[in-house]
Amino acid sequence: MTRLLLIDDEPDILRVLSRSLQADGYEVSTALSGGAGLGEFARGPCDIVITDIKMPGMDGIEVLKRIKELAPATEVIIITGHGDIDSAVEALHFGASDFINKPVRDEALAIALKRARDKIDIRRRLREYTHDLEKKIQAATTELRRRSNFLAKLIRSSNDGIVATDDHLRIVVFNPGAERIFGHSQEEILNRRRLPELLSEELTGAVQRAMATPRAFREMPWREAVIRSKSGESIPVMFSGSILYEGDQQLGAVAFFQDLREIKRLQRDLVRSERLAAVGQTVAGLAHGIKNILHGLKGGSYLVDIGIARKDDQKLRKGWEMIKRAIARTSNLVMDLLSYSKEREPEFEKCVPNAIAAEVCDLVRERAEQEQIEVLCDFDTAIGTVLMDPHTLHTVLLNLVTNAVDACLFDENTAKAWRVVVKTKAEPRQAIRFEVSDNGMGMTDEVKEKMFTSFYTTKGHRGTGLGLLVTHKLVEEHGGRIAVDTQPGRGTTVGVWLPYREAPGEG
Amino acid sequence: MAKKVLVVDDDPDVRVFNTTILEENGYLPLEAENGEEGLRMIKAEKPDLVILDVLMPRQSGIRLYRELRTNASLKDVKVLVLSGIAQKTFLRSQQALTEFGESQVPEPEFYIEKPVDAAVLAATIKKAIG
Repeated sequence: MTRLLLIDDEPDILRVLSRSLQADGYEVSTALSGGAGLGEFARGPCDIVITDIKMPGMDGIEVLKRIKELAPATEVIIITGHGDIDSAVEALHFGASDFINKPVRDEALAIALKRARDKIDIRRRLREYTHDLEKKIQAATTELRRRSNFLAKLIRSSNDGIVATDDHLRIVVFNPGAERIFGHSQEEILNRRRLPELLSEELTGAVQRAMATPRAFREMPWREAVIRSKSGESIPVMFSGSILYEGDQQLGAVAFFQDLREIKRLQRDLVRSERLAAVGQTVAGLAHGIKNILHGLKGGSYLVDIGIARKDDQKLRKGWEMIKRAIARTSNLVMDLLSYSKEREPEFEKCVPNAIAAEVCDLVRERAEQEQIEVLCDFDTAIGTVLMDPHTLHTVLLNLVTNAVDACLFDENTAKAWRVVVKTKAEPRQAIRFEVSDNGMGMTDEVKEKMFTSFYTTKGHRGTGLGLLVTHKLVEEHGGRIAVDTQPGRGTTVGVWLPYREAPGEG
Repeated sequence: MAKKVLVVDDDPDVRVFNTTILEENGYLPLEAENGEEGLRMIKAEKPDLVILDVLMPRQSGIRLYRELRTNASLKDVKVLVLSGIAQKTFLRSQQALTEFGESQVPEPEFYIEKPVDAAVLAATIKKAIG
């Protein structure tokens, strides 16, 4: 509620005005002289003072001066005699907020009071705003300090080495991560060394080039690099950098280093253990192949021994045949091993892929049909003479078709009518898709996973464990692809996609 | 009368080797070239011992062994497994079948990995059936 002090030497006016103002909702106190008014003001300051100008003793102008001295924010309204413009001007000069003429009319008083209240209100809002602003500045400062502490801690606790320089490349940030990688302490480096003393010419050059180029290129992407530590050790790191700006002003550069020693060590260990595992698997596969052959050799020599001891020609012959077969199997194993381990460039020659596929089918058909396995061909007649490596094609198809026949042979579901289908199909962009499918035993996920990567067989003495490794390698060397679709008990389809070149003079 | 021994192996050379050892040591050898034929002959001939290969077409040694050990009328037939695959791999395959819900079978009494000397094989056969 707005508090008013009303000063007038005429008790009647005082009474009438105070009633009307109280009715308007003001809290009103009154005084019959200037002196009494000031006394009242001193007891309880108020927002607005309305004083008559002409009073015995202390006049209104004096009251105005005193109150403005005591409380400059108080609004003082002066009541002047009719036509007393000079006094009114003087009153305004001394800081009165308004004046009204006698006799006091309600509307004039209401307008003067409203103006006074507005001024008070504006002043209050201004005060609050200023106060708020101070509080906000304080809060912002606290936040800024918090963030800056946070950033400092972040830099300090980062596992990466962080090195920042000013625009003359003098080092101004050197975090504990950098201490760990470079082996220098912060004290040795901070503000004492420049970047070129810490990094190779090449890395320093990269930072300097980034600083010299326009702003668009201020980020240096991550790359591997080598730094030299205090003890002279060459340390592999991931390196990245950034040029620091404030507005258009270049502040300096910051470089980040990730220590790669541990990762490199793990990588080396991994490569070593993978190599050992591969060697182990190769040795196991090889040993398995040799064990089967050796068993045949032992059998053969056993029969030959008996043949010699008893002069039994038939045993001698049988034993010798067994030994010769073991020799042939050894030779097959060695040939497979050689073609697997040797790099070979495909030799593109004029050939007819359908004819090669037919030849392969003929090779296995007799053996397959003895076991009630049908071998069917489904060739795309659009394929003519092309340039391709006939050796690759022949070996790949023979391996796949033999496997397909064996997959039927090893199938335990004897109720099936087994069939192997060999398909060829011309593909766009000078390629042919060869497909060998069977309805034999299929493969489990475990076998499928090993089929192109492991020296592994499920065929006993019939396989060396190398056929699909060789197949896969030949297909890749020929720029082709191979894919398998298989289900245990249902069968397998192997698709091989091989590119060819146009044979000259053919179309 | 000579004891009957059935050789089940898909490799003809192994069959010749094994049957020769058997003849030389006074047994009566019989031959089968896969598990299916082997089972038929075991039922028909009731051999004293089966020398069994593992990786064979049609019916593998893993299957045939299982059949012999779960069929009440055949479970007294003695079995000697002779294979290029390790005993551990054979047992793991049997274990896998058991985990797929088939019945538990005992480990083979005699297991020899190829290659084997004639003398060792002969001694093992003698140990099995005398």
